Amino acid sequence: MLVLLAIAALRIGVYDFNGTSPLTVLIKFLQGDPGLELSDRYVIWDVRSARIIMAIFIGSMLAVSGTSLQGLFKNPLATGEAIGLTSGATLLAAVAIVLGGHFRQYLPEMVQFSLTGFSAFIGALLAMMLVYRISTSSGKTNVVMMLLSGVAITSIGFSVTGFLIYLSKDEQLRDLTFWNMGSLAAATWTKNIVLAVVMMVSYLVLLPKGKALNAMMLGERDAQHLGINVESLKKQIVIIASLMVGTCVAFSGTIGFVGLIVPYILRLLFKSDYTFILPLSAVLGSILLLVADTISRSIVAPSELPIGILTSLLGGPIFIAILIKFKKSL
Amino acid sequence: MLKADQIQYKHRDFFILDEVDISLEYGEFLAIVGPNGAGKSSLLSILAHEIKQGNQKVLFKDKNMGDWKVRELSMHKAKFSQHNSNEIPLQVKDVVMMGRYPYFDSQPGKEDFEAMNKHLYETDIYHLKDREYSTLSGGEKQRVHLSRVMAQVENEIEKKLIFLDEPLNNLDVKHQHKALEIIKRFTQNSNSAVVVLHDLNLAARFADKILLMKSGKVSAYGTPEEVFTAENISSAYHFPCTIFENPVNKNPMIIFG
Repeated sequence: MLVLLAIAALRIGVYDFNGTSPLTVLIKFLQGDPGLELSDRYVIWDVRSARIIMAIFIGSMLAVSGTSLQGLFKNPLATGEAIGLTSGATLLAAVAIVLGGHFRQYLPEMVQFSLTGFSAFIGALLAMMLVYRISTSSGKTNVVMMLLSGVAITSIGFSVTGFLIYLSKDEQLRDLTFWNMGSLAAATWTKNIVLAVVMMVSYLVLLPKGKALNAMMLGERDAQHLGINVESLKKQIVIIASLMVGTCVAFSGTIGFVGLIVPYILRLLFKSDYTFILPLSAVLGSILLLVADTISRSIVAPSELPIGILTSLLGGPIFIAILIKFKKSL
Repeated sequence: MLKADQIQYKHRDFFILDEVDISLEYGEFLAIVGPNGAGKSSLLSILAHEIKQGNQKVLFKDKNMGDWKVRELSMHKAKFSQHNSNEIPLQVKDVVMMGRYPYFDSQPGKEDFEAMNKHLYETDIYHLKDREYSTLSGGEKQRVHLSRVMAQVENEIEKKLIFLDEPLNNLDVKHQHKALEIIKRFTQNSNSAVVVLHDLNLAARFADKILLMKSGKVSAYGTPEEVFTAENISSAYHFPCTIFENPVNKNPMIIFG
């Protein structure tokens, strides 16, 4: 299904390949056909394919991070946005964009190169640790505290980002706006390779954790009695989820609600068994973001709608639906 | 099997447990009884290595609990907690299958399904196996967790240990007896059980040893006949009682009031 959608997404677009189908153009490109025009070559490979792959990677990672956070917090409202992870990442990424020029030369070369991405990861990690500390005591997570600390972090992030916008120069301003709206338009193959590496490492650690997340439903103590090393599980999820959210924010800005919608749909369709929904969310996340991105770049063609607007439009009502459903248990 | 000396557990300056010695033999059914707030659940938590305070040592099979590998330990011992989650969005059979988590990696094997089915039958919830856990009554949920705990220690390993914190809560008379019979049968294979109970008459009937607690200290320890005397019980519970011999099984029979 994902493959079919990817092919469909490939066909949709503003650029006109002189009547030939984009798929044939791609096949020609892959075969190294010298008859291909330079602009065709550029559009099919560096623009459209790169973007489709990026949508698949980012959607998948956002969804998996959402699902595993929900398992860790034992609550369907725990997602990157609700608990301030995304804001934390955006905040530090914004700091890196605007103020990065001032301290860039003091940093080691490795960090300099990927300063924005690195800051986004640190931002996500800090936000995550803060929320977990505030909301969890003796193995029980207080949902209200969790959401409220998310609100607090988001508002700090909002004000600091606002201040940075006030400070920033024209070019930085454009970068910042891109962050806040979220877009996959800046996709390149280099970014995709980084995403693929992050994704592979993360999935190697996270995807086998379905059983452990199920056991967490019994509470941390009972999970420990079932042979789950709860402390290391928590650390792994906190770090990996921050890594994934941070990387996604670094490359595509704030694309909200994917981590909320995907597990919600999977729970409706199947059941809450994490051994099912954890791997499935990796696939459904890709599908969702790919569809959303294809719509976002074709609905107002030749211009495009920021994808963050679309996912939030979907996510808002679902968030309300979950709140109503869990009204009693909150 | 299980040994701990001079257990102390403090909350600020208040001693929840003080100078408690525990020693459990292979094949022993130990019942911990006592009034509310006597420290029964805290003691069980410390023995099961849930609470760690100071350098308190609990020796399980002559090896410090903390030195065991988590997964290996989970095949040797299991615990039934007093406060079980009300909201688990899974079916009954999925919850019971959690007891088999130490034994498989991604998909449960044949023996895991066998163990699950066996204990679903024994706790009388086989007919509920496809129901949503959250729709069950309190007593049925208790039986699901008992089933899960028993499925967890279903293996070839000898001399296993289970901890149960008030397993009879919400159970009707028949299932109270069934639950205790399951535990009793478990201990007859040189396995051991430490169980917090409220019903003294049931404790007298099923347990080999009784530990009577009062304000964080051991007030009496021994066989049911030794511990269940009128003065021991009245002084622990501050409530008058009379002891008779049970005409059916010759155990002590306690009548309050």
